[in-house]
Amino acid sequence: MNEERHQGNPGPQDGPGRPDNRLRKELPEERPASAAPAGETEEKAPTALTGRQRLAQSLWPPRVSRAQLIVALLLFGLGFGLAVQVASHSEGDTALRGARQEDLVRILDELDDRTARLEEEQQSLESQRSELENSSDQAEEARRQTLAKERQLGVLAGTVAAEGPGITVTVQDSQDAVGADQLLDAVQELRAAGAEAIQLNGIRVVAGTYLTERTDGDAGVSVDGNKIAAPYRFKVIGKPQDLEPALNIPGGVVQTLEKEQATVVVERGTKIVVDALRGAKRPDYARSSAR
Amino acid sequence: MIAVLGLVVGVVVGLLVRPEVPVAVEPYLPIAVVAALDAVFGGLRAMLDGIFDDKVFVVSFLSNVVVAALIVFLGDELGVGAQLSTGVVVVLGIRIFSNAAAIRRHVFRA
Repeated sequence: MNEERHQGNPGPQDGPGRPDNRLRKELPEERPASAAPAGETEEKAPTALTGRQRLAQSLWPPRVSRAQLIVALLLFGLGFGLAVQVASHSEGDTALRGARQEDLVRILDELDDRTARLEEEQQSLESQRSELENSSDQAEEARRQTLAKERQLGVLAGTVAAEGPGITVTVQDSQDAVGADQLLDAVQELRAAGAEAIQLNGIRVVAGTYLTERTDGDAGVSVDGNKIAAPYRFKVIGKPQDLEPALNIPGGVVQTLEKEQATVVVERGTKIVVDALRGAKRPDYARSSAR
Repeated sequence: MIAVLGLVVGVVVGLLVRPEVPVAVEPYLPIAVVAALDAVFGGLRAMLDGIFDDKVFVVSFLSNVVVAALIVFLGDELGVGAQLSTGVVVVLGIRIFSNAAAIRRHVFRA
């Protein structure tokens, strides 16, 4: 260094005191050195430019130089790191990353409390749900039972069709000798033998059914006000082994009818369909006393 | 101009690639970024002052990053990482502000 200085500045050093000269010289020497970086943009900074002009000149036109490339590389690294950090920080779970330990412990405690509370709530809700499911099961069961009972009662009341084993009774009455009382006897006998659904010539026979002689003088009877005539066909659902003997007992319905010159045919069947219906009539006065 | 392009390209690439930050580097990245920002502002100011030198810039940039990461690492080892990184950020922030003020004086003359 010293030698360079000596060589580079041979002329000016004319002073007697060398150390003094040296000190004096160092300042001029330093200045060009520090001015050199400023002059790295030699073409743009011939004289004192303002900062704004320098900025504009360095921005445009773009020049490819080693310095520019190195700075670009560094700035690329900065931009990359910036973007990565921003992206990873804004991903969400990093909210806790900067938190202190005490804060984390507190947050953890709070979360534990919350979990316990929520679990409690979940349990109570689950028990409530099972309760409701039970009750709805019960309601469903009750509904099904009600429906089944309705069907049973409907068979008795004649509001629904019925089918099952039973017998068919056909009474041929060529002499017009069979009256309402004989048919009523037959119905009563069938009921006593356990008939569950009875249909007489397309008319459902229920608890309130009445049979009367026809008043217009024609042959036949009227059932619940519907006029019917021979042959009389009973369709009866019940146990055939009970029903048939009940009609055939000595002095019973069949013998009585045959005494009147009517022919009676009793047939067993495994599938008797009673499909005559009767409308459900709402009673005017009677009310259910069951609450 | 190329330097500005480098910055823009870096941001774009970082956003597009979205690399996983390694766990080992994770605590140092934000501080390193702030330190690099400080170096960049310093370089900008030097350029406006007309004394910009690319060698100085490179050295200051790299040493800023390394020293900042080192301080954070040391703080983590000593158990005062959070406080120390806060201190580093404060100091760098002050420097960034003073540099930005100088830049502002150059650019806006105010």
